[in-house]
Amino acid sequence: VRCQLSPPQRPLQASAVLRVSDGQKEPWAASSQQQLDSHPADHHPEREPQGPRPSYTGQGGQESEDYESEEQLQHRILTAALEFVPEHGWTAEAIAEGAKTLGLSVAAAGMFHSDGSELILHFVSQCNTKLSELLEQEQKLVQLGEAEKKPTDQFLRDAVETRLRMLIPYIDKWPQALSILLLPHNIPNSLSLLTSMIDDIWHYAGDQSTDFNWYTRRAVLTGIYNTTELVMMQDSSPDFEDTWRFLENRVADAMNMGNTASQVQSTGEALVQGLMGAAVTVSKAETSRAAR
Amino acid sequence: LPAAGDSLRLCSTRVRLEGINRPVVDRIIRVDHAGEYGANRIYAGQMAVLGRSSVGPIIQQMWNQEKEHLKKFNELMVAYRVRPTALLPFWNVAGFVLGAGSALLGKKGAMACTVAVEESISNHYNSQIRTLMEQDPEKYKELLQIIKQFRDDELEHHDIGLEHDAEAAPAYSVLKTAIQIGCKAAIFLSERI
Repeated sequence: VRCQLSPPQRPLQASAVLRVSDGQKEPWAASSQQQLDSHPADHHPEREPQGPRPSYTGQGGQESEDYESEEQLQHRILTAALEFVPEHGWTAEAIAEGAKTLGLSVAAAGMFHSDGSELILHFVSQCNTKLSELLEQEQKLVQLGEAEKKPTDQFLRDAVETRLRMLIPYIDKWPQALSILLLPHNIPNSLSLLTSMIDDIWHYAGDQSTDFNWYTRRAVLTGIYNTTELVMMQDSSPDFEDTWRFLENRVADAMNMGNTASQVQSTGEALVQGLMGAAVTVSKAETSRAAR
Repeated sequence: LPAAGDSLRLCSTRVRLEGINRPVVDRIIRVDHAGEYGANRIYAGQMAVLGRSSVGPIIQQMWNQEKEHLKKFNELMVAYRVRPTALLPFWNVAGFVLGAGSALLGKKGAMACTVAVEESISNHYNSQIRTLMEQDPEKYKELLQIIKQFRDDELEHHDIGLEHDAEAAPAYSVLKTAIQIGCKAAIFLSERI
């Protein structure tokens, strides 16, 4: 059942949804909790209360320990909805199914856009957070001396591969997601998620550049990531081995580019010095010939 | 990508990033980094012209201090994970041209440029100090200490410039105003771009 609801009615519908499922008579003020409960960096749903049903009891609208903000509720619904994406795609149907598993009415899908944008952005954000955590753990191991520090090209390859592997369960529907992420109203969000992920990878790779290299490196890695993602969409080899080989070649190209650039620079400098030396010699020769 | 390994190290320099007002600190570090980078280039330009003159040692000394400042901001930039301004290549050229151009006006011209730039930078550091104090002096103690120290260094450069007859430079007030307007524009742009 697709629920097409106009935006101003969403908060009302949200509370109607909860009333239907829990039989609560209390009006539910969502906005006041946003500042207190929402953490920008926290993408995981709050600790699960006993059983799948959230409890909204509170005396006279006061918060209790199980009180949940609208944002956290949305996170939980979207996370639950991911299970249904392989079957339904990135649609309101998947969200409705997800809401059902949490014991909510399918009308909960009305809280979100009908094109599945929030579901996709939620998924991407979750993947990025997972990647950051993995890279953080890896860094800790290296700092403790329990693991070898990888060379840069291997680090980048592994990080991109890890991140892209998170798409595998949803690979059939991912082209659809990519096209939705390119819609104008989604571009600010999807671009910001992409840039922060790339920045994270470089940060953990040990990038300490403070000049224009900062931009060059991120631009190059973004190009590598995006092209590899597209190759992955069309890859039918076992365990995507063609994709990882493509990734390896692109990273190697990028490293070569860097080496070539510094070679060009030192060649250029040597050339300039040679020319200056030649000019000085010629001018001295001229002066001495003129003096004779 | 530059040859792997030259500026890639284990990211061990960390700072508590939680609870920090990211937008404000980002801007502060980005624009200060750009400022020190520009100051470095200005002194480089002045040395290129006046390096062998009588004020050469003075300019060299001030330049060395700016190099220290830039080094410090490079460290802060990595620790706070701030992106550098995309206009760095532009400031690279513009700074050198300003330094060399003012030095071509003579030693007093170079000193006038120094006075103008250092005055702008000191005022700018002062307003940053005010901002951070308004936010939370305790949380930003380290940053405040650094900025205060650098502001004092820049004021010292300003005074050195005055001591060396900056005010006797040709068209001193016009030169000074023009340079300070340029500095304001550079600050505005570097904070945002």
